[in-house]
Amino acid sequence: MTQQHTERGGLAARFRREAPTTQAESELAISIHGLTKTFGDFTAVDGIDLDVPRGQVFGFLGPNGSGKTTTIRMLTGNLRPQGGRARVLGEDVIRHPDRVQRRIGYMSQKFSLFEDMTVDENLKFYAGVYDLSAEQFARQREYILAMADLTGREDELTRNLSVGWRQRLALGAATIHEPELLFLDEPTSGVDPVARRQFWDLLYELAGRGVTLFVTTHYMDEAAHCNRLAFIYRGRIIASGSPSEIRDEHFERRIFAISSADNEAALSWLEHADGISEAYLSGASLRAVMPASSALQPEQLAAALAAAGVPATVSATEPSIEDVFLSLVAQQR
Amino acid sequence: MRATLDRIAAIVVKEFRHLGRDPRALLAVVITPVLQLLLFAYAVSFDVDHVPTIVVDLDHTTQSQDYLRQYQGSTFFTVVAEADDLAAIDQAFDLNQAHLAIVIEAGFGRQLAGGGTGEVAVLIDGAEPTSARISQAYTVAANQLYNQQLTRQWADAQGLDLSSLGMLEPRVRTWYNPERRSSDFLIPGLMVVIIAIVTVQQTAVTLVRERDLGTEEHLEVSPLRKGELMVAKLLPWTAIAFVDVAVIIGLGRWLFGVPLRGDLGTLALGSALFVFAALGLGLLVSAIAPTTDTANILALLIAFLPSFLLSGLAFPLDQIPTVLQWLSYAFPARFMVTISRVVFLKGGGFTQVWPELTALAGYAVAMITISSVLHGRRAGR
Repeated sequence: MTQQHTERGGLAARFRREAPTTQAESELAISIHGLTKTFGDFTAVDGIDLDVPRGQVFGFLGPNGSGKTTTIRMLTGNLRPQGGRARVLGEDVIRHPDRVQRRIGYMSQKFSLFEDMTVDENLKFYAGVYDLSAEQFARQREYILAMADLTGREDELTRNLSVGWRQRLALGAATIHEPELLFLDEPTSGVDPVARRQFWDLLYELAGRGVTLFVTTHYMDEAAHCNRLAFIYRGRIIASGSPSEIRDEHFERRIFAISSADNEAALSWLEHADGISEAYLSGASLRAVMPASSALQPEQLAAALAAAGVPATVSATEPSIEDVFLSLVAQQR
Repeated sequence: MRATLDRIAAIVVKEFRHLGRDPRALLAVVITPVLQLLLFAYAVSFDVDHVPTIVVDLDHTTQSQDYLRQYQGSTFFTVVAEADDLAAIDQAFDLNQAHLAIVIEAGFGRQLAGGGTGEVAVLIDGAEPTSARISQAYTVAANQLYNQQLTRQWADAQGLDLSSLGMLEPRVRTWYNPERRSSDFLIPGLMVVIIAIVTVQQTAVTLVRERDLGTEEHLEVSPLRKGELMVAKLLPWTAIAFVDVAVIIGLGRWLFGVPLRGDLGTLALGSALFVFAALGLGLLVSAIAPTTDTANILALLIAFLPSFLLSGLAFPLDQIPTVLQWLSYAFPARFMVTISRVVFLKGGGFTQVWPELTALAGYAVAMITISSVLHGRRAGR
């Protein structure tokens, strides 16, 4: 394995004998070892390892520009890595993207719909691209229209649908050929919270039918929806596992939730306070992180804040996935 | 194979749907070519006759009246005003009432009668060089004619028989376009410009738009091959370009009476090769252009300007600077304009234009190869 970490691309890599797919690899939906992609001097993906079991919702998390999309493009066979191996549904996707492409689906935040065509015409187009038979198309069309709640609106122009409908139609278009594995690249970005919730329900439904979902997002609250997670930061995977495993393994510190009428003043006080290793905004409230050894109690912190002229309520809390991620990123710096 | 055809069909159907839903695109590819043809053929006319002429006769003799009669009686000139002072010329030129002025000095009649030289001033409005040049040629010819007349009169008066005098008379005949009608000359060339605009522009935009929409990413993940996508994207525009060719030939023939003397098969082959070359250029633009807007402008720049200016359509190619002559070989239009004119006007066929056909074929292959490589590189595979 170690030798593959240092593997580099070029002609040598292409002509080397293909390593056979192992039993373990073929049972996994995705299996990556030492995958590396550089653009000039910039290393977008830096030797990552990843295993995604079949039938799971796998969350691939990270800030913008951390290598999420590059990884997906390699896994769909659109980008050739400089090194490493990638097995998708048991096939070597780097050498034989064509063996995989019929079996995977892809949806991006751009939705990939033709807005000047009707709902039906969009579905027909993708059915043609995936070369579905008439019976297959009829069956899938009915299923997708029901799933996206678009029955009766088949002849409406896609342009006239609201974002939530378009998102569901895009999901339908991406799954028209009944893929075993679906890549979703920031599928919920720019969508309102209600539509996001509904969209995740649809993803669970797909997972329930045995489809493996590989979802990237920078919405940390969506991480809790996933069976397994991997955090990617600056091209490296800095944590992976189930949400609770990640919480247990990577967060041994204590965390308080603080709400105040003046969050900014409270934050600037906390950033300089003794015994607080980190402080940041999280939604409408603040988080203060302390070492596991800290004996600081919520009441003491509230009193100190009040004394500094910033009255606030303080309570001990469980770290969220976002807390874990922020703390991991802070350690990386 | 069946899957390939199905995928190509899916995209072709989709392209026609886009076209049907977009009135502007429909206008651009179907109505605009016809409009362009009508506009160019009627408005861009190099025919010069009835040159508006002002005459200033300061002599007022029978000789000067006799001299001026040849302007009044000719279809090349239309005498729009007669004046007695030179200031009237300025005014007539400024107001665009006249583009030619004939001034007869006082004493013209006396000089002629006394065997001297009668002087006539000819002033030409040079704001439009082409018509100025032609006006000048007409005037010189008219004066030569008048000189001959004077010679004959003198000979008669002297009792000489001019038939014993050796004289030269050129018999000028214009071939291929005997009436030298502009439309005969322009329409075969315009056909080329119009095809270039439709094909280069539309192919350039159609692929870039796919990228803008994000549908390109999705298609890349699908079993659709790059080659299938290209073929499917080019087919509709090839078909439309051929419809345009047919419409232009039809209009040219029935509306403007442009003769189609040569081999229609050669014209069709040339058009096909030219369409492929233009599609290749369009693909090249789509590989380079980052956005739809850039693609539009770039396509216009390399489709319209060179096909109009560097093809021999607007200016004869041997009249433009050498550097531009070389540059003209970088665009397929010059070959096609030659083919089109040879077939339309000179009644030529494959034997006459095979070098141009070969050049076009080479150009098409080169363009499509280069742009495919660029597209491949862009995809990062």
